[in-house]
Amino acid sequence: MKLLRSLLIAAYALFALLPLLWMALTSLKTRDDTIRQAARVVPVLARETAPESLAFPATLAAYSELNEVHVGAVQSFWEHLWHSLVIGACSTLASVGLGTLAAYGFSRFRIAGARDWLFFVLSTRFMPPLAVVMPILLVYRRFDLPGTHLGLVLLYTAFNLSLAVWLMKGFVDEIPRAYEEAAEVDGYSRLAAFRTIIVPQASTGMAVTAVFCLISAWNEYGFALTLNHSGAITVPAYFAGLQGNIEGMPWPQVAAGALVFVAPIVLFTVLVRRHLLRGVTFGTIKQ
Amino acid sequence: MDASPGAARGGKLAYACVAPALVFLIAFNVFPLVYNVVLGFTDAELVGSGWRWRGTANYARVFGDPGFAQAVRRTALFVGASVTLELGLGFAAALVLRERFRGRDTLLTALLVPMMLSPAVIGLFWNLILDGNYGILNQTLDALGLPEPQWTTDRAWKFASILLIDVWMWTPFMLLIALAALNSIPAYLYEAAEVDRATRWIAFRRITLPLCAPLCGLAALLRTTDALKQFDLVMAVTGPNDERTQTVSTLLYQVLFRDGRIGLGSAYACLVLVLVIALASVFTRYLDGLRRRSA
Repeated sequence: MKLLRSLLIAAYALFALLPLLWMALTSLKTRDDTIRQAARVVPVLARETAPESLAFPATLAAYSELNEVHVGAVQSFWEHLWHSLVIGACSTLASVGLGTLAAYGFSRFRIAGARDWLFFVLSTRFMPPLAVVMPILLVYRRFDLPGTHLGLVLLYTAFNLSLAVWLMKGFVDEIPRAYEEAAEVDGYSRLAAFRTIIVPQASTGMAVTAVFCLISAWNEYGFALTLNHSGAITVPAYFAGLQGNIEGMPWPQVAAGALVFVAPIVLFTVLVRRHLLRGVTFGTIKQ
Repeated sequence: MDASPGAARGGKLAYACVAPALVFLIAFNVFPLVYNVVLGFTDAELVGSGWRWRGTANYARVFGDPGFAQAVRRTALFVGASVTLELGLGFAAALVLRERFRGRDTLLTALLVPMMLSPAVIGLFWNLILDGNYGILNQTLDALGLPEPQWTTDRAWKFASILLIDVWMWTPFMLLIALAALNSIPAYLYEAAEVDRATRWIAFRRITLPLCAPLCGLAALLRTTDALKQFDLVMAVTGPNDERTQTVSTLLYQVLFRDGRIGLGSAYACLVLVLVIALASVFTRYLDGLRRRSA
């Protein structure tokens, strides 16, 4: 029984992790080695390996070539990563800020129709990007927003607000009201109490919320592809754009870029692992 | 969600807190809805600025289009198949990962990584794994003497390939929630079952399954809302206009952006939104019910 269980765990771990391992190996290859009929799987530190060998000479060339501009693109990977970073960071700050404020309002005050408003907020998460993007694009055109950082920042802020409001509402609800009452007795205004009590007490929640907002902005593709297909192209749209170019996919660079791109996400996943459950269920399940 | 007992009447301050977020959400969600309805009655195009009213001609076309019904059916099939597979596999994985062992927490964190990654980027890379000629999957199958389908180009396999990538990405999500459900079952229930000499199967059917059901239902529901929007993986594997893999979202992309037919595309979008809003209102209420029960 115990052996069977270990085997099952091993099988699942292989299924889950082998594709990522393959990505790491691919990033160390030359392009010719990525498309061989007899795959090479062992990286070795040598200039050459025998043609029929399972070993391939490992190289970091793909990483250093990330600053090259590929056929079908106008900027290098690093420039696209910068776009992703600016858009992700700004929209995350905005959604956590607005989300925390709204969560505080819903948590501490009686607001007419609060329940319906909260349902509305949640239901925005159900909208398929492709079904709402055209009207947004048409309005954006009037203000020259397509292809800019600002355009996607605004959109991702709105997109992530549902998550931010719901998650933060859970975190603010957990802060005992007595703290603020005590502060009010001490003569603090509501605003001062918000700043000196709620914000520090909710800082863990804000950090967790920020991580989830950042990840969904970082990974988003539908809006990025349709609103920013030129100008400030984020990494997912950039990679997709390399498909079908006449030189074929530059697989080592794609793998290297993808690893660089997912590395911060893996790091954040580890950092918020205690709150993962809460984050992915919109705060419905608390641990 | 209701104001708790000590909630104050906030007056202006309360509304100042919630208004910015709500205004944002209305601007980016309600406005496009309304504008979509308007556009759906026109012949607007992506290039060129002139447009004329077309009445309900777009809708006549949409309802007469077998491609739309096909895309809706395929999306439904995708949702059904992916959510079932992911829930089954995730729950099974949770059962074997339930007991503590050394290195379990580290392994769990590693296993959860796929669901945090970008489907567009990772889906693109899966093309290399699934490639019919030099892909590592087919080379492995070859070594084992198994048949080697052309995963991403064979009409019979394309859809399954996209499903496979989705299952790979999202089984961790089900695993995470199923584990939480299993951990919340009090040990004394199993002890009582043992005292009653219940077999492990009976204990599983009478204790484990019913107590896990609400959270697994929640997990299935959250996945359903995402799977309904399926776009990234289809784009990465086959592109938007493949007769075997076109989902509702990629159909919209094809009509709106490749064909540039805004009027027609908006009529499609309106129908999609009607379906989505109906589902969303059922789902949000289910979520709220769960939240209240756990509170």
